[in-house]
Amino acid sequence: MRLLLVDNEDSFTRNLEHLLATVTGLTPALVPYSGFTPEAAHAADLLVISPGPGHPREYPAYLPLFAPDAPRLPILGICLGMQIINHALGGEVARLPGCVHGRAEAIDFSGRRVRVARYHSLSCTSLAPGLVLDAATDAGVPMAAHHRDRPLAGYQFHPESFLTEAPEAFILHALHLLLPA
Amino acid sequence: MRSICSFPLEPEAALDLLAVLEQDVGVDAFLAPAPPDNEPGFLAGAGPDRELSVTLDTGPEELAAFAFADERPTLGWLAYEWGLSRLGAATAKPCALPPGLLRKYGLYLSYSPGERRLDLLHPGEPEPELRDRVARLAANVPPPAPPRAPARFAGAVPQSLERADFERGVEQVLERIRAGDTYQLNLSIEFTAHTLGCDPFALWRLLFRRYPAAHYAFFRHGAHALLSTSPERFLRVKGGEVLSQPIKGTLKSARSPAPQALVETLRNSPKEDAELSMIVDLVRNDISGSCSYGSVRVPAHKSVFQVDDLLQMHSDVTGLLRPDRHVFDLLAEAFPPGSVTGCPKKRSVRIIDSLEPHSRGIYCGAFLMIMGPRDMDSCVAIRTARHEDSGDGGGRLVFCAGSGIVAESDASNEYHETLAKAAKFLRLIEELQ
Repeated sequence: MRLLLVDNEDSFTRNLEHLLATVTGLTPALVPYSGFTPEAAHAADLLVISPGPGHPREYPAYLPLFAPDAPRLPILGICLGMQIINHALGGEVARLPGCVHGRAEAIDFSGRRVRVARYHSLSCTSLAPGLVLDAATDAGVPMAAHHRDRPLAGYQFHPESFLTEAPEAFILHALHLLLPA
Repeated sequence: MRSICSFPLEPEAALDLLAVLEQDVGVDAFLAPAPPDNEPGFLAGAGPDRELSVTLDTGPEELAAFAFADERPTLGWLAYEWGLSRLGAATAKPCALPPGLLRKYGLYLSYSPGERRLDLLHPGEPEPELRDRVARLAANVPPPAPPRAPARFAGAVPQSLERADFERGVEQVLERIRAGDTYQLNLSIEFTAHTLGCDPFALWRLLFRRYPAAHYAFFRHGAHALLSTSPERFLRVKGGEVLSQPIKGTLKSARSPAPQALVETLRNSPKEDAELSMIVDLVRNDISGSCSYGSVRVPAHKSVFQVDDLLQMHSDVTGLLRPDRHVFDLLAEAFPPGSVTGCPKKRSVRIIDSLEPHSRGIYCGAFLMIMGPRDMDSCVAIRTARHEDSGDGGGRLVFCAGSGIVAESDASNEYHETLAKAAKFLRLIEELQ
């Protein structure tokens, strides 16, 4: 299996690389956003879009991946990565009142209560058509979503943070969701 | 390195010897307090004989070629701007210093206050003339000159950002945080004091006596003397085991030891917790590029210590250096230090460059002790001053202080925290007017 991790000039991407590598036993290929092309992505079995600064509209190179006629490519988006998926499919991403950075918070995820790390100034204020909400904070801020028909999933929180409890479980969950059995 | 010979010396005599050698053959030094009385222990290089002047284009392989050309340790420093350039965010502002400097020495001196013992060290055979000269002085340290003020200061201490400008800068950072461009950013002020006759080494000694901290360093470069009084370790590597100890979270405490309640106030503050946690994730990232998969850990989080009349919080981030990497690979990937830039680093350093009128130079760079490809220690060059001799008996002492801005920051509080970090220099300047 080929894992492609695109770095949106973030300072947490290497943490994500280590987490992906320890869970899968694979060495992810790491590409900076400036060197990313949708063609290269289609050579991978799973694309992971990293966290990063700014708004999804600053990252247009991902858009062709989400066109209705785009080839089927499993994609996992983390933080900005989830916002990019949502934005590209027609959802709304806007400022989160009282942004949250460097805080751990318990959420209900897949039947258990689990502590996750939050770093975000923006959030998915409306989910795109086709996206299903999988988890939210107790205050209702979306924390996880997947697509009903396409292999797309996103986490708003940071599974790769040292503040996140049992981080491996979130990667395994996404792999089961996105990859053919 | 092997000990060529050793001498029984009291701590102050060991520092007197260093002061004499500093004038005589040239000395660069690292100084740390030993418990329980904070007596000085040091490692110094005497008689520099090889030097690499680092440029913005110097890469880790060139640094490694210099440092590992022979078995002698390399001492030196890297300026903040070396890191900017590596991040593709070079500044257009002029800098007083080159981007870095590495040196090797004819002889090395280490002093252990616990054993009251000075060792002259060299991995091979030192040049006899230098060895004999240093040994003669060590055996009979000349009496120190009658005590006099290490410096006289004149006039006001202008700031690159006065209070209103700094607080406006904080507001701008907060807006950039709300927009998601940065999650935390370190904003600093540069202070400049005019000196009339300054002995930088004596000034550094006086600072150590009053404000002992773990990572004092002293370097000369032409008319410049660099005086680190830093409490913060950047990266240590021991046989490939990496340790970084970023500091975030500050609370004033003039009493020593600080009341436990105050320590708990710092540890339980959600704002200070978030500030440190964010930098821990950033440092994990910065060392992960050079560490083996799955090896990066946080064995200690939110430890509190007291320095410079401040309570400070830090964490330990560890990892195992990959077998195919050396210490300069690690340094180059992690530079400039995350605790003094912001997160994410690349966009944050650009915002810093747009908001700060000064160039940082040695401030927020690092001082380095390189022992081998998998062995080094280094500190973050905060609480660090640069003295520039103007050649006519006068000069300038330039230093910066800053504060980490997060979403919950209050501009006025951040200004006071910044001044508190500059206080040890400001107090001394006022006293020695």
